[in-house]
Amino acid sequence: MQEALLKLKNYLLRIFILAGLLWSRLSPTGRAALLILMLLVLTALFAPLLAWHPPDVSSGPALTPPGDGHLMGTDDLGVDLWAMIVFGARVSIIVGLGTALLAGLGGSIAGIASAYKGGWMDRVIMRLVDIMIVLPDLPVMIVLAAFFGPSLSNIIIVLALFSWSRPARLIRAQTLSLKEQPYVKMAAHYGGGFFYLLFRHFLPELLPLLLVNMIRLAGMAIIAEASLAFLGLGDPTSRSWGLIINHAVNFSGIYFTPFWQWWLLYPWLFLTLLVTSLALLGRDLERVADPRLSS
Amino acid sequence: MISETLKRIPEYLLAILIIITLNFALPRMMPGDPFLQISGAGGEVGDAYTAEQREYFMAYYGLDRPAGEQFITYLGELSRGDLGFSYYYKESVSNMILRRLPWTLLLVSAATAISLGAGMALGSFAAWRRGRRSERLTYLMMVVFGEIPAFLVGLFLLVLLAAGLGLFPLAGAMSHYTQFDSYGAQLADIMHHAALPVLTLSLARTGSLFLLVRNSLGTILTRDYMRTARAKGLTERRIRWRHAMRNALLPLITRTAMQMGAMVGGAVLVENVFNYPGLGQLMYDAVFVRDYPLLQGIFLVLAITVLAANLLADLLYKRLDPRIAAEVKKQSTGPGIKPVGTGGRNEDL
Repeated sequence: MQEALLKLKNYLLRIFILAGLLWSRLSPTGRAALLILMLLVLTALFAPLLAWHPPDVSSGPALTPPGDGHLMGTDDLGVDLWAMIVFGARVSIIVGLGTALLAGLGGSIAGIASAYKGGWMDRVIMRLVDIMIVLPDLPVMIVLAAFFGPSLSNIIIVLALFSWSRPARLIRAQTLSLKEQPYVKMAAHYGGGFFYLLFRHFLPELLPLLLVNMIRLAGMAIIAEASLAFLGLGDPTSRSWGLIINHAVNFSGIYFTPFWQWWLLYPWLFLTLLVTSLALLGRDLERVADPRLSS
Repeated sequence: MISETLKRIPEYLLAILIIITLNFALPRMMPGDPFLQISGAGGEVGDAYTAEQREYFMAYYGLDRPAGEQFITYLGELSRGDLGFSYYYKESVSNMILRRLPWTLLLVSAATAISLGAGMALGSFAAWRRGRRSERLTYLMMVVFGEIPAFLVGLFLLVLLAAGLGLFPLAGAMSHYTQFDSYGAQLADIMHHAALPVLTLSLARTGSLFLLVRNSLGTILTRDYMRTARAKGLTERRIRWRHAMRNALLPLITRTAMQMGAMVGGAVLVENVFNYPGLGQLMYDAVFVRDYPLLQGIFLVLAITVLAANLLADLLYKRLDPRIAAEVKKQSTGPGIKPVGTGGRNEDL
């Protein structure tokens, strides 16, 4: 018990130090992006506490401007916009996280297998990667989402199917050079199997790079989800920001009314903030993790 | 050099085959069949067709034959340019696509040209002013603009410039019900309508091209031949454009081609922001009324266009880069040195 506690304390301390180290290496833009991201994640976590109106049923007159109990006004059905924004953050974060985990894991397994096994497996996987990269992803995603129905889990699966190729390629390149390292060769020589090497040597070494790449993946997934929702292919039961924009834009004559000043503006603002800060943080972390990449 | 390109052709064929197979398989993987769909619209199960009628139609459309046979028929129809018949609009899909395609092509090609030009100009501006405040500002702007998805930029421009200031039309590709005095006036009208969508797409795409030009120029500037060019007393302009930019051009072409998919995807969204009557808007309409043949036809055309652009870039790249030819020759005699910065697609991690 005592020992476990001590171990936990040690781990926490290590994480804390690492976080501090990371923070000190980030550029001011990266720091700002990280702060905004953390705020948005907290918003999503504490959504029920932050919103005092329900996000799915009417809670006042339709299309009221911001103020007067409705922080960001209401939409055409009288649903509170702030509540929708707060709960919509959850959708974006679930989609981003889910896709990044699925695609990052699948991509790195494919990349490591491709590099380590070589031969026909390498050829098949790399051909697949090449094809995935040239395919125009949005049209394919539109077709798939239209056929399979736009539920949140379907969207995550489709997005993951289209984003594993980048991590796979990155991880493959890294594994290829790692494979030639003397200590890895030695371990293999002493009889270390593929999975031993994978967990003992490859993954720990590749993890930082993978995590950085996963931030990118999350950003792209969030953009893709918002794009699909904007085209009316979002999960209709989840109020994602893209879907709010879709409803607002399809409200006829919205540009001739003042309604866009809250109904369109706020979801746009939050989506842009989230996407931009994710991208800027990803860029900065890439620089920190691999100084070679940012010449 | 030629064999290298030829080696990539099976890959493109495979990609096209995958797309076609996907297109063929998707509607057949759906639960139910088209006649169920038609008779039970909106969730209510009506029996508009009797069992005999259903069988008759299944045989009429060939849906009772084995999948392999259906696939061959499908390929045959595709090769004749027959993309099927739209349920909703009651028109041949190919005709509908041909009517909309020019608008999308206009947007995509104009945006590609503008983003290439802007990327080159700003990239070389930044490479020559590395570290100064103006360069850092440009860098930040480009990175931010490059990361915001096109449709969000488009919404912003639409609200600000079209709805707010009234400088541009809110929707459409040309003014209807108007007589133009001349072709020039009509052309000006079309350009006026296309301005915002093209600007949006170019803004979204310039960022990454800018970074590429800036970085490759950055490495080129440290090369020996740049010093030689300076020592020869060549003018700054000549050094910049003939010696440096020419070498930065090659990765730019690959990148532009690889971005074609993203560009087309962006165009689909941006057309919907600006209600621009291209393929993207048609795709939206097809999704909205669940017109699957139309949706698939558009998808096929977009995918094949992107693949063709990629193949073209591959061919062009090998044409433009004399070092690749030289390297192939060298490799046949001994180990060649891989030219830095021209690794093409494999370099872009």
